Amino acid sequence: MTGKELIFKTLRHEATPRAPWVPFAGVHAGLLTGADATQVLTDEEELVKALLEVNRLYKPDGQPVVFDLQLEAEILGCDLVWAKDCPPSVSTHPLAETMTVPCRCKLPTAEKGRMPMVLSAMRRMKEAVGETTALYGLLCGPFTLASHLRGNDIFMDMFDDEDYVKDLLAFCTDCAKRMSDLYLEAGMDVVAVVDPLVSQISADHFEEFLSEPYTEIFRYLREEKKAFSSFFVCGNATRNIEVMCKTAPDSISVDENVDILEAKKICDQYNAAIGGNIPLTSIMLHGTQQDNMKYVVDLLEQLPEYRNFIVAPGCDMPYAVPVENAIGAAQAVLETESVRHMVENYVSQQEDVDVQLPDYQNLQKPLVEVCTLDSATCAACTYMMGAANAVKEVFGDRIDMVEYKFTEKENIARFKKMGVKSLPSIYVNGVLCFSSIIPSRDELVEEIQKVL
Amino acid sequence: MSILTDISENLQRGKAKVVKELVQQAIDEGIPVKQILDEGLLDGMNVIGEKFKNNEVFVPEVLVAARAMNMGATLLKPLLAEAGVEATGKVCIGTVKGDLHDIGKNLVKMMMEGKGLEVVDLGTDVDPETYVRTAKEQNCQIICCSALLTTTMGVMGEVVKKAEEEGIRDKVRIMVGGAPVTDAFCQQIGADKYTPDAASAADAAVELCKSLA
Repeated sequence: MTGKELIFKTLRHEATPRAPWVPFAGVHAGLLTGADATQVLTDEEELVKALLEVNRLYKPDGQPVVFDLQLEAEILGCDLVWAKDCPPSVSTHPLAETMTVPCRCKLPTAEKGRMPMVLSAMRRMKEAVGETTALYGLLCGPFTLASHLRGNDIFMDMFDDEDYVKDLLAFCTDCAKRMSDLYLEAGMDVVAVVDPLVSQISADHFEEFLSEPYTEIFRYLREEKKAFSSFFVCGNATRNIEVMCKTAPDSISVDENVDILEAKKICDQYNAAIGGNIPLTSIMLHGTQQDNMKYVVDLLEQLPEYRNFIVAPGCDMPYAVPVENAIGAAQAVLETESVRHMVENYVSQQEDVDVQLPDYQNLQKPLVEVCTLDSATCAACTYMMGAANAVKEVFGDRIDMVEYKFTEKENIARFKKMGVKSLPSIYVNGVLCFSSIIPSRDELVEEIQKVL
Repeated sequence: MSILTDISENLQRGKAKVVKELVQQAIDEGIPVKQILDEGLLDGMNVIGEKFKNNEVFVPEVLVAARAMNMGATLLKPLLAEAGVEATGKVCIGTVKGDLHDIGKNLVKMMMEGKGLEVVDLGTDVDPETYVRTAKEQNCQIICCSALLTTTMGVMGEVVKKAEEEGIRDKVRIMVGGAPVTDAFCQQIGADKYTPDAASAADAAVELCKSLA
């Protein structure tokens, strides 16, 4: 079964052999190819290259193509401030001084703003990986878009002029439908409506202002476009999970501020799938590879069955998430049982396994040590091992090469002794040369020649 | 129902015009201005702060309550000055350089004002020099830094360093907050206080000002 089929089954609320995995690698994708956030969000070549690398290393079942909630706002007249390590921010709000609703003639089209670049990247991703990976088109949800256009006054407007807010949200709903049309034409399988500000209002306000727009968007996607939908929220949206479910998306996605197991019980009542919620900062950004594997394994262990559940980061992954952390999370989803054993062994491993490290100072010939989670099952490890095998062919008997798999208890002790922090990695003569990012053949050859 | 309770309850419902009228009425009735402030406006904002902390009210409710408080406070301000009533402390607040998100910062500001603190709002995209210069020039006891992005929270550490360089660390406390910020991060950069929500930030600021008095 392909990853795409796994996602489709989940969104059809059928049981699956394992939980699907959707890493929200937005700007973070650029880290894998050396592109910054601005390049990833403005340069089609950089974007596609980065997304393909995400697909190769993280083995996603589903994958967003662009994660930028400012796309529509930019088209509708908001100024953006760009950064190298995060998506752009809106700096001006065209409706801040005027309580008007923009003309429908201003809605996004395939030609406006960055849409030509985004839609072309979507078509190329569809062509390249669309057979096996479910592709997500992400659009800015009506409430967050309304706040981009109107600024923070939108919150006061909810008390002062309810009709205006409803009119503006109707416009933003039309914008969401237009974006859906464009994304689906470009081959997206799932339309995700991303509305982080939903966590900032009460369930009563949600029902007053957002139930109708969202019900319409998800009806449109389901009945008129025959497409899958998802409703992404960030922040503590616990109280809004039920009203979100009532708008009938195929799935929702939440971050670490929500108790996902409790939220799943509510989603199950409405037969909506739920995705989440690897903590972005404490685990993905600042945690270790072990932390990421453990979090995912623990999360999956608490599920009664694999149905209506998607493993994903809490929201758009920070740019600088260490690659090995995402690899660890991926491996934990894809090979849950084997990673469960790794984590158990790592936790219980004391110094009782006596591992002798080679005498690196007095080796007969260069020693290439490839440290992996398991090159048979972990994509990034397979590529790392492939790189090592390629240079072994070049050097033949002039070098020694060995793979140490984290699946074996002894190697856990070995990695601790060697000080291995991330997998996969390559050490030459006991010195770390490549960590998580797969070297080219030439790069690895160069490292070995230094010690030959 | 006393007029002060009436002020508090209307403030909680965000009824700015009513609050303004009631505050004027209370002044006209000769109720001491400090009492109107404490038992009317600040009491109402305190209730809102607690409810916000407990996830009973949310951003829109806090914003309209704060607007109502400001309507009433505008009437009281000159009278409080005349009566020699001083703020319980002075804070400068801003979202750190590179970050334009201001909802959280605004909420903290409002909650602090609701505790009777004077707050200097530096806006968004604030560099470390501006925080420290403002604290020095305006005699603030607290510098309050907000960040929503994992990529900008590091600026908070620069604010701490700048305050050290300028020799004001013994007189000024530094508070940090925002979605990605944690207590561990606060300790790591040498700041004084992390709080997870706006109402707790206001409570902490009052305590810090007391400790410096």
